[in-house]
Amino acid sequence: MTTAASNLNFIIAAYAVTWIVILGYLWRLVRKGGRARADYERMAQQRSGEKSQ
Amino acid sequence: MKPEGQLNSSSDRLRDPSAARPPRTSIWLAFVSIGAVIVAQTYAILTSPAEGDMGHLQKIMYVHVPAAWMTFLSFFVVFAFSVRYLWQRRENDDLLAASAAEVGATFNGLTLMLGMIWGRPAWGVWWVWDARLTSTLVLFLIFVGYLALRAFTDDTQQKARWSAAVGAIGALNVPIVYMSVKWWRTLHQPPSSPATLDPRYTMGLRLNAIALLLVMIYFIRKRYEIARLERATEHMAEAAAMGGK
Amino acid sequence: MTWRDDWRRVRAIARKDVTTELRAKAGFNSVASLGVTILILLGLALGPDAEALRNASVGAVWLATLFSGVLAFNRSFQVELESGALEPLLLYPGPRWTIFAGKLLGNLIFLTLMVAIVVAAGIVLFGVQIPADWPSLIGVLALGVVGLVVLGTFYASMASRSRAREVLLPLLLFPMLVPVLLAATTASKALLGADVMHEAGAWIRLLVAYDLVFLIATFIAFEHVIEA
Repeated sequence: MTTAASNLNFIIAAYAVTWIVILGYLWRLVRKGGRARADYERMAQQRSGEKSQ
Repeated sequence: MKPEGQLNSSSDRLRDPSAARPPRTSIWLAFVSIGAVIVAQTYAILTSPAEGDMGHLQKIMYVHVPAAWMTFLSFFVVFAFSVRYLWQRRENDDLLAASAAEVGATFNGLTLMLGMIWGRPAWGVWWVWDARLTSTLVLFLIFVGYLALRAFTDDTQQKARWSAAVGAIGALNVPIVYMSVKWWRTLHQPPSSPATLDPRYTMGLRLNAIALLLVMIYFIRKRYEIARLERATEHMAEAAAMGGK
Repeated sequence: MTWRDDWRRVRAIARKDVTTELRAKAGFNSVASLGVTILILLGLALGPDAEALRNASVGAVWLATLFSGVLAFNRSFQVELESGALEPLLLYPGPRWTIFAGKLLGNLIFLTLMVAIVVAAGIVLFGVQIPADWPSLIGVLALGVVGLVVLGTFYASMASRSRAREVLLPLLLFPMLVPVLLAATTASKALLGADVMHEAGAWIRLLVAYDLVFLIATFIAFEHVIEA
């Protein structure tokens, strides 16, 4: 394999790793955010329900 | 020096009226920042010529260098909000510092991985005990300690005060670590002279830095929103358990 | 005369810590034995070539000190936590920093004794030749130990009250000690080799700066950390 070709592999690897980290963390945040929001809404509803009784 | 909340530490959160409504981060910020990264990377890859002895390897710089900058920037955010938390004891400052720490650790890990991917073809080894690389690794370990401390402490007040102290003191150490590793290296072998950056590469680098900054801002905001939601849910559950209003 | 009262408080806490540790004997003896054991293991792992051992001696002594020091720091708060004596201690009148200073002084005495044993063992086991400039070498050791004790005591005050103290303290402490480790080992190595490059001076200044920065920073931060 020539140096240029093997360098290309490293360049591709670098950009791939970057995108995996960015999109992976984004995915984690969105999922965690959805769960946190749902928990929050449920708890808020429960509380307002208690209050109105 | 002594905040007035010291007499009764449970009063910390009561003094904070904004703790009620967690913010909402627009998903558009995510799309915009991801789009900016795509545009910046495309521009940089297309416009940058092959460099003398590095060839196209130089293109790794466009992801590696901005990731390193964002690491340091987010650690600075941790430092600033940790100090402000110790000063004013606002719960939200603690949550923001913790969010920046998690995002910073992510970028830090990315920086290290990219450094190794760069090092293998450029220097022939995955790792060199270079001053910048080594101090970035130490910084990562400090981040890990900070996050571990938060994970292993249950009391929210303690968690906030302790991690703020660790964040502030850890940040103080960063320049000292960098200096000591640099000396340690230079005394053993001559330092590699940093090549001055060709103006043809600066535009691409700047664009990528701005794009990654947007990503970082989105990440920290989103993480902060989650932390606020979780904390607000906890407060409500606590209040419900107390049979309160 | 308040500074006098403060100083009395500091001394009282330090004396109490040192006497309980030394009277129990188990504490000091086991920590010091661990230090020597680590040295022996490192010698076995790196030896038996005498030259290689001599080159590794400084690093081995410092690693043994770090690993056994971590146990000592956790112990210094553990005794109070197990007997529930920390809360009453906080209720005593007088500034809180005296508690930190007392713990610091107690740990400093404890660690100094331990380091003396580890260094003596290291000199014997690794065949180190003592250079003419041995007072500077002791100075480097002392500065390194101060840095270790300052941050060790500070982080132990948190880690020992968390859920995972055994893991958490080294995890927090060791990355912070990188400058101490580099400065102390490089300066000691230079001094052992007669310091032909005159590099020890710069490292000693770095150690002094490090000790001062973190002494001040931890005293400021301790007030926030110790609250119940």
